[in-house]
Amino acid sequence: MTFLSDHVLSFILFSPALGAAALFLIPRDRDARLRNVALAASLVPLGLSLWLWASFDPGAPGYQFRETAVWYEAIASRYSLGVDGISLTMVLLTTLLTPLALLISWSIKENLRGYLALFLLLETGMLGVFLSLDLLLFFIFWEVGLVPMYFLINQWGSANRTYASFKFLIYTMAGSLGLLLAIQLIGLTAGTFDLETIVRVWSTLSQPLTVLGLPITLPVATVKAIAFWAFVIAFAIKVPVWPFHTWLPDAHTEAPTAGSMLLAGVLLKLGAYGFLRLVLPLYPAEAKAYAGVLALLAVLAIVLGALASWGQNDFKRLVAYSSVNHMGFVVLGIAAAAYARGSLSQADAVIAVNGAVLQMFNHGLSAAGMFLLVGVLYDRTHTRDLEAFGGLFPKAPLYGGVLIFTAMASLGLPGLNGFVSEFLVVRGVWPIFTLYTALSMIGLFVTGAYVLKGLKKVLHGPMNEKWSGHNLEINRRELTALAPLLVLMLFTGVWPAWILAVIAPAALRLLG
Amino acid sequence: MIPLSWYLVLAAAIFCVGLYGALARRNAVAILMGIELMLNAVNINLIAFWRYLNPGSMGGQVFAIIVFAVAASEAAVGLALIISIYRRRSTVAADELNLLKW
Amino acid sequence: MTTELWIALLPLPPLVVFFAILLGAHRNNRLSHRLAVGAMGISWALAMAVFVRAVGVADLAHAPFAASFNWLPTGAGWLRMGVLVDPLSALALFFVAWTCLGIFIYSIGYHNFGQPRDPHDQPGLPPHHGGVEPMYARFFAFISLFAAAMLALVVSDNLLLLFIGWEIMGLCSYLLIGFWYGKPSAREAMVKAFLTTRIGDVFMLLGIVALYSATGTLNFREILANEQVLAALAAAPSGVLGLSLAGLIGLLLFFGTVGKSAQWPLHVWLPDAMEGPTPVSAMIHAATMVSAGVYLVLRFFPLITAGWHEGAALTPTMTVVAAIGAFTALFAATIAVAQNDIKRVLAYSTISQLGYMIAAAGIGAYVAAAFHLFTHAFFKALLFLGSGSVIHGMEAGEAATSKGDHAAGGHAIDPQNMFSMGGLRKRMPVTFWTFLIGGFALSGFPLLTAGFWSKDEILADAFGHGHMLVFGALAAAALLTAFYTMRQISLTFLGSPRTPAAEHAHEPAWSMRIPLIGLAVFAIAAGWIGIPEHFPALGGIIPNWVHGFLGASLAEGGAELAFSATPLLVSVAAALGGLTLGWWVYRRVAAGSPDPLERALGPVHRILKNKYYFDEFYQDVFVRPAYWLAETVVAGWIDRGIIDGTLHAIGGLSLRVGAFLRKWFDLLVINAIGDQVGNLVKWGGSVLRFVQTGRVQQYLVVGLVFVGLVFTGLLLLRP
Repeated sequence: MTFLSDHVLSFILFSPALGAAALFLIPRDRDARLRNVALAASLVPLGLSLWLWASFDPGAPGYQFRETAVWYEAIASRYSLGVDGISLTMVLLTTLLTPLALLISWSIKENLRGYLALFLLLETGMLGVFLSLDLLLFFIFWEVGLVPMYFLINQWGSANRTYASFKFLIYTMAGSLGLLLAIQLIGLTAGTFDLETIVRVWSTLSQPLTVLGLPITLPVATVKAIAFWAFVIAFAIKVPVWPFHTWLPDAHTEAPTAGSMLLAGVLLKLGAYGFLRLVLPLYPAEAKAYAGVLALLAVLAIVLGALASWGQNDFKRLVAYSSVNHMGFVVLGIAAAAYARGSLSQADAVIAVNGAVLQMFNHGLSAAGMFLLVGVLYDRTHTRDLEAFGGLFPKAPLYGGVLIFTAMASLGLPGLNGFVSEFLVVRGVWPIFTLYTALSMIGLFVTGAYVLKGLKKVLHGPMNEKWSGHNLEINRRELTALAPLLVLMLFTGVWPAWILAVIAPAALRLLG
Repeated sequence: MIPLSWYLVLAAAIFCVGLYGALARRNAVAILMGIELMLNAVNINLIAFWRYLNPGSMGGQVFAIIVFAVAASEAAVGLALIISIYRRRSTVAADELNLLKW
Repeated sequence: MTTELWIALLPLPPLVVFFAILLGAHRNNRLSHRLAVGAMGISWALAMAVFVRAVGVADLAHAPFAASFNWLPTGAGWLRMGVLVDPLSALALFFVAWTCLGIFIYSIGYHNFGQPRDPHDQPGLPPHHGGVEPMYARFFAFISLFAAAMLALVVSDNLLLLFIGWEIMGLCSYLLIGFWYGKPSAREAMVKAFLTTRIGDVFMLLGIVALYSATGTLNFREILANEQVLAALAAAPSGVLGLSLAGLIGLLLFFGTVGKSAQWPLHVWLPDAMEGPTPVSAMIHAATMVSAGVYLVLRFFPLITAGWHEGAALTPTMTVVAAIGAFTALFAATIAVAQNDIKRVLAYSTISQLGYMIAAAGIGAYVAAAFHLFTHAFFKALLFLGSGSVIHGMEAGEAATSKGDHAAGGHAIDPQNMFSMGGLRKRMPVTFWTFLIGGFALSGFPLLTAGFWSKDEILADAFGHGHMLVFGALAAAALLTAFYTMRQISLTFLGSPRTPAAEHAHEPAWSMRIPLIGLAVFAIAAGWIGIPEHFPALGGIIPNWVHGFLGASLAEGGAELAFSATPLLVSVAAALGGLTLGWWVYRRVAAGSPDPLERALGPVHRILKNKYYFDEFYQDVFVRPAYWLAETVVAGWIDRGIIDGTLHAIGGLSLRVGAFLRKWFDLLVINAIGDQVGNLVKWGGSVLRFVQTGRVQQYLVVGLVFVGLVFTGLLLLRP
């Protein structure tokens, strides 16, 4: 038992990958067994992360459940894992969403084994980013998460999937290149890839960097500037921050339902997590200097993302654009925290980071829920055109009810989860960027407009006779996949302290 | 006692016969026999030198026995190949076995 | 059990019932309404118990019932959540509990409980011929959630819980206005209501965070009962338009009220919201949701008036509040005059009456505003339920006269159009008498009705403090109110029936009549608690309880105004004059004849009938350009055009560069070198090929020859 508890992070990290390997021991045509094994393999990390949540001590300083092992000694990179309140929240989100996404993939028929295996690999990749405390390890998992998603979109996506998957891959790769460069520069300058060590010594470094013994030397300031911008661009693409967002509607729209769930639910959070974990601690000065720009871009994402969403007539694209809008609040909170850290508004900065992390979690729930529901409708009707629906509420009362519920969570209705985090972000940002906060309210208003547009066109109005012979009601399996999300949305809205109690101390320590 | 040189001459003669057979015959079996002859000529040399120059050690005999063993296995493998080729192509003429030639 | 616990439990029963109905009880209509009414009954009983206890406390304003617990960790501290009952919330609790209970009971009859379901009816459309509502259970779930949210709002001790209740009510109003979502008009109205109020809500959210940032708390008592905090807020500049911080926050919060209480310029949603079932209209427009806006203004009265004292000039924020309130009161009353839909008249009347309250709050007449809020809730709920009863009766009459054309569906006449009615007094006596009481209360019929006392107090305050513009607007609105009320009563109940449906109309079920009677009692009696001490003859018989009770929460104690005859005479003249005029103009309108006002007012009437064209104006100036911006500019030009265009350009350029490199470098240089190396080797091979005979024997001969040569050489060269 101590072996298990000493290495629980490794178990969480690699059990999906092991599950993926196990899938190849099963004949490719045994669909039911493949599904069950994949589901079981994704439930293991969920169970372990629940145990992790229960035994995590929010008050203790630093990272917990540390694991280190020699890995790549020649360049001083180690296999080093650990969690704090922020990454634990993300780990819980990832391990929660993956089984639900697998559950919603039952309708996949074509090459099921490959699909499931890619999904589990994707989970390992995402978890690795949240768990690693070594920059090189971080980068590797960052890339590992990318490849399965490419294939998921490319092989199991809808009509325009080639374009979308290519755009997704190229866009993200463009960011990753800079990330790799920055990590190498940091590693060479600091002599280690260990995150904690780097954070500790980074601000005191003054020795210029000699590149590979060549007669080229870079002053530390240059190294920092290059690495800062490389990080920012990589993470900004992933979040995505306006104007790097156009891969998102395409990728989300073309991906299979479960892929969209994880893409919106977890993959976008990798970028925001990178900001919190790397940019804020490593570049306090640069982050402060450019926080205004970042905040402006975040406000643009909020406002323009909402407007673009409102202007869509494709239900899934509408939901996809809503991610731009919601993630804008995350970035706004982070930008404000970067700006106000260490100043008189320190308390506001802490609230903003709390709000940002909670918003990441909440958006994970509501965006996954929305994509699931859009997928359910698409499964029945094979169209995403809003004009093709109308008046479906009497045909699918249960579906309509949960759609309204999830849409309201996404809209930020008080009493549900989204409101708490948006309130915290707005509260934290207001004293720091007052004008931007006021401008972001336009986005919040338009959020209402597009959510209601979706509901209106799908559920309300005269019934579209085209669907009168169809059974559009959500089935029990899909409801099972949705139910945990609904419960969490309500519970977090009513009692947010259950999760903020874990996030808040970590946010406080993050900002010193 | 017969002088050493007689043995050497005999061995040289047998070797030449064997060499001729290996180089000039078209029949693969005959080539194999030529090779066997050359090996035996070597054996005669080995034994003769041992007996005349260094009878106290075992080296010469041991060498000769190793050569026997090699010759025997070579003959076994070689003949098996030849039989197999004959079954397939109904010939054992060496220059007709040109499948791998370009 | 302590009173605080009762207060905390108060909103819970309807909330639990909401989930219970949705998760299972909805299959059984009887169980659903029993649960809902039962839960509301429990809440009502708790509310009454709390009210009685609150009244019994000697100095409730300074020692209110309050309790709270840690709710939201924010890093360093906690945001606390809790309940508070002070004079204002006690009063609000009283009218909310009563009206909600009445509306719950009324809904049973309104949705034709006990009738078989008409096979032609489908969910999302109103039932046609008196069949039970297909979504009967769902209706009770929604109004239960609504009641829970309103009760939570009233008993909350902080702005955040108030906002939560506020927004959940917004959701419920969305769902209930669109209850018959199959009708395109209802579908538009539900979205319009939600979005229009949301404009106010986002400002309000800003106000909340600004207040939280400035004071570090959202608790009412910590901010509003704390002189130092208020003084600091009033002194701090906000940097916006020269307002003080208190003024700015007050204004931001007031925008929330403008949306929720349908004040100009965000009034447009409320008339359209009449698409919902009538109990919903009563609930949203009279008892709860729109009242919540006024409640917020009254709750934050100390903040809005921070830096102001009795007799001083109004602060900029107060001026805005008073101006919007007074303008809305008059503006909405003029529209109401020209409406023919029985519910729309009431909707505009509600907007107008809320304007009264807002105006009163704006000029510092806190007690008068709260008093009018209190009385208005009863008589306006009564009027709405009465109108629902009329509509119900008309539909029944319609069904009775058009038997047989089931398949034709739809209504030959609009059962809500007052010009189709007439003479209902004899067919529906209970409805008539209660409606008359409500209407007279709304008009401010002197001495008898509750509306008179509360409205008179507002006018007296406006006059007494010298706000003549406000006084003039409100007095004119009072005249119009009396006029359109009497117009409504005359057209609906007096004269002779104008359609066969009106002839065959009949009283609805008892479950609908009982609430009417109960509310009618309050429509008269609710005014007695606030008769001014110095009123001629009547003053002092019943102590002016409401003034003492509410006035105590004000820092200055709120001395009662000296009696002045002018406003009283104006108010009596306006009420009686308006009623007489309305009766006289509309006493005898024949079937099919146009509105007599149409001739008298000419084009002005058309403008009024079309509500000053505000809907069209907003549609053309805001909604369409905004959607064009969203669809064409942002989604089209910026995202697909500029950003994706740049990306595709980069992609195309890369492809072009790649093709160029392939053609001119790869093919020409790299490939050529590679090919030549290959060719060279090939040629060399073909040249040397003849030595490769493939005959082992020849190789051996060559080997032998070489060995011979080597040996020969060695022998020859040996020294």
